[in-house]
Amino acid sequence: MEKVSVIIDGKTVEAVKDQCVLDVARENGIYIPSLCYNPEVKSSGGACRVCLVEAHQGGKMRLVTSCNYPVRKGLEIKTDTPFVHKIRKGVLELLLSRVPDSDVIADMAAKEGLTETRFRKDEGENNRYKCISCALCTNVCAEVVGVSAISMEDRGADKKPATPYHKPSDVCIGCGACVYACPTGAITMKEKGDVRRIWSKDFKMICCSVCSTPYIPEAQVDWIVKTTGKDRTFFDKCPDHR
Amino acid sequence: MIDVNKVDEIINRYDKSEESLLAILQDFQREFYYVPEEGMRRLSEVMAVPQSKIYAMGTFYKALSLTPRGKHTVKVCTGTACHLKGATQILETLERELKVKRNSTTADGEFTVECVNCVGACAMAPVTVVDEDYYGQTRASKVMDVLKKYK
Amino acid sequence: MGAITSIEQLGKYREQVAANTKTDLPTVLVCFGTGCQANGARPVAEAFSKTIAEQGLKLDVNIGIKTTGCHGYCENGPLVALKPQGILYLKVKPEDVAEIVEKTIKAGQVVERLIYKDKTTEQTIAKYQEIPFYKYQHRIALKNIGAIDPTNIDDYILAGGYAGLAKALKMEPDAIISEVERSGLRGRGGGGFPAGTKWRSCMAVKSDTRYVICNGDEGDPGAFMDRSVMEGDPHAVIEGMIIGAIAVGAHKGYLYVRDEYPLAVKNLKIAIDAARDKGLLGENILGSGFAFDLKISRGGGAFVCGESSALMRSVEGNVGEPRAKYIRSVEKGLYDEPTVLNNVETWANVPEIMVKGADWYASLGTKGSKGTKVFSLVGKVNNTGLVEVPMGISVRELVEKIGGGILGGKKFKAVQTGGPSGGCIPEHLSDLPVDFDSLTEVGSMMGSGGIIVMDEETCMVDVAKYFTNFLVGESCGKCTPCRDGLPRMLDILTGITEGKGKEEDIAALEELCEVISWGALCGLGTSAPNPVLSTIKYFRDEYDAHIKDKKCPAGVCKALITYSIDAEACTGCTLCAKKCPQSCISGERKKAHVIDAGKCIKCGVCKDVCNFNAVRIA
Repeated sequence: MEKVSVIIDGKTVEAVKDQCVLDVARENGIYIPSLCYNPEVKSSGGACRVCLVEAHQGGKMRLVTSCNYPVRKGLEIKTDTPFVHKIRKGVLELLLSRVPDSDVIADMAAKEGLTETRFRKDEGENNRYKCISCALCTNVCAEVVGVSAISMEDRGADKKPATPYHKPSDVCIGCGACVYACPTGAITMKEKGDVRRIWSKDFKMICCSVCSTPYIPEAQVDWIVKTTGKDRTFFDKCPDHR
Repeated sequence: MIDVNKVDEIINRYDKSEESLLAILQDFQREFYYVPEEGMRRLSEVMAVPQSKIYAMGTFYKALSLTPRGKHTVKVCTGTACHLKGATQILETLERELKVKRNSTTADGEFTVECVNCVGACAMAPVTVVDEDYYGQTRASKVMDVLKKYK
Repeated sequence: MGAITSIEQLGKYREQVAANTKTDLPTVLVCFGTGCQANGARPVAEAFSKTIAEQGLKLDVNIGIKTTGCHGYCENGPLVALKPQGILYLKVKPEDVAEIVEKTIKAGQVVERLIYKDKTTEQTIAKYQEIPFYKYQHRIALKNIGAIDPTNIDDYILAGGYAGLAKALKMEPDAIISEVERSGLRGRGGGGFPAGTKWRSCMAVKSDTRYVICNGDEGDPGAFMDRSVMEGDPHAVIEGMIIGAIAVGAHKGYLYVRDEYPLAVKNLKIAIDAARDKGLLGENILGSGFAFDLKISRGGGAFVCGESSALMRSVEGNVGEPRAKYIRSVEKGLYDEPTVLNNVETWANVPEIMVKGADWYASLGTKGSKGTKVFSLVGKVNNTGLVEVPMGISVRELVEKIGGGILGGKKFKAVQTGGPSGGCIPEHLSDLPVDFDSLTEVGSMMGSGGIIVMDEETCMVDVAKYFTNFLVGESCGKCTPCRDGLPRMLDILTGITEGKGKEEDIAALEELCEVISWGALCGLGTSAPNPVLSTIKYFRDEYDAHIKDKKCPAGVCKALITYSIDAEACTGCTLCAKKCPQSCISGERKKAHVIDAGKCIKCGVCKDVCNFNAVRIA
């Protein structure tokens, strides 16, 4: 692991070559907002643009998304300049317009002193239901879970995650990884008794043999057993009682 | 009902590689005048590619339609030269006379009116393409006459 | 014959084709580009075949009717060129064929009514090369188009084709790259990146697999240069790609062609098959041991697929989303392997550069922009079509000398260059030389070569709205600034054109432009502000008129104009009243008509049908 020295907000720090700027910043206690990036998901990042920072290299300055910009020798990063804040505020104003009912976005915007948008809000017919089209859900489903039950449908402002034809998916295992990955809580997952409902499909849950709490969909267990060969009886008990 | 044999015949025209996916979807479009769900499901099965990926492609590429199109497609080119030379008037005339909104099909299923990107015949702007036939220097006052021979 | 198995054999084959072709015999060339076909080229060609066969002219002279690729003078099609006379006939109909055969082919005379006539001077010109539209051109990428049958490889070989490849096969890859570097060839798709530098970067990356790709996704509305080259001289592109493949060490290549160009796909496929049969593609090219083959990949109706990384995702079998990561395609492109992607026109220039040399190419053009460029000169100009000229010609020369001035004698207002990524150049700057750097300096860009000519009846706010609307429909949707910013820019522009503009609109537009140009993920987004910013810069007065005075000086924005009939000019022919869909024009026969402004929907039909220019827009 080759190490490099980079300057971030005037401070010289050590980093691993090609590590992303965001991770380096976090390691050094510097705050950069981020929404669409998850370090566990290689295909994530670069979409929401809230993590843009100034990258100074070779006498040039460009704004880069810190979640996927690789640190190399001679790099200087500035996360806190008036220009960074100006553009960040601009991006957040657009997100506020897109998902006016999202607390997550509202909080992030408030940090930049922004509480409302000048522009048209996506409402009524155009309601985005808190979705910022960052694709973390579909990336997780394809890359981490491996079932690709959902994908990003359409393009432009109407781009959104969906099951094919909006019909209940043949391959979804009801694991809820998409729900946990979503930065704005835009995906609905409801449970009633031992049935979980997600993406318009009902999943029967297995109940813990000790505490009787429904805790994991059968379909998810089927998938784990199929792909890892794990013993099914492992799932008789919930994590608290294993 | 979609002819399953035709679907398979189209799929078999190409290598079993993901590079062929878009070409197959387009051949479905040309054959059936849209991309049927049965075709996409069969393609997913044969290529061992997630159904969701094919669905994403089907909805991303605007050359593809997931709903049946009319018997005849009327494409109004909205490239820059055509726009400057009256494409808007042509489109409005078609919407008004055929009682149809752009990018949709007339009630009788005869015509689908679409706005399309530059077709590359800019020197003949404004251009209208009906099925495979190109009409240059279209005039809003004459476009309905052009359609007469397709009825 | 089968495959040609050596460079020497290629030379011999060319001689053989020459011997078998009676090149001094009269030839009728019927343009079969998309434009002329739309205007009825096929019946004209059929009429020629029939007449010539009927008259038994084959006995005396062998008349070859070559169906050729797009000449580029589409508005005047169907175009028929005659060799050896060098005459060009315009707007030829099947009914004209008999006369052409009698008078020109048999008797060597000109059919006056079918030749070019200058709209202002009324001067007629029969010879192809002397028509202003063609006279000032220097055709390199377009050199064969209109002169050969694109579906016949022998025509290409006879015209000197594949001589560049023969030369390259005898050179070291490094030497080929040096030649391209010295020529100064810059990418013709819009980026203007030095081709040789790109090739060298790719070659330097260590990998067993690499690719060359041709970007035939010509998406700029108003541009059809690449279509013509792919339809009219597909072998030039193929040969260029083989040479590039040898230079960087690629054994597989892709030609990405947009879905809207079916004839280009067809002709490329015919050409690839023919090249393979002749041993010019495949496992052992001309017996050299070098293996390279090409595959056609069709686009699906997405402008964003013209962006390199999006195109590569599309080739692989995905949605065409640009890649967010900061990796150059020459390092990790298609399938994460080193890839050289160049535009159709860039590839088409390579064979000639190999044959005639870098010094020759670099002697053309300007200091920073060598060679020639194919432009699509369209819009409100008299002579519309494709022109290839040395870089450095001024906008004014293009519009006036070659373009023949503004249609209908109206006033030249501006040109738009670079499509949705470019900007406008107002008339007062039109002595600017057209080259990569000078256009960028004034806030536009060369782009792929589309030059849209605008006159006093073009509303520049409407132009900004048009391009923004286009991009809203083409945004891939991945990044916030483009996906959510462009629609809000469109809101503001639409408001301005509808008379709802506010004082703070321009400032809001400029702020949005800054966020989008700095924050967007790919070139579509980062260049989207250009048409808006350049029209604000050069036509601020028009924006102000819309916002403050609620007026559209050019007479375009419906909410701000009124249609009326000039009583002096109106002859009372009643045609407009008959055609009006709202039935809101009234008047007696032979008396001045009147439009009821309250009912008028400003559809433009009355102005369109009026033969007396009596309809006014204010």
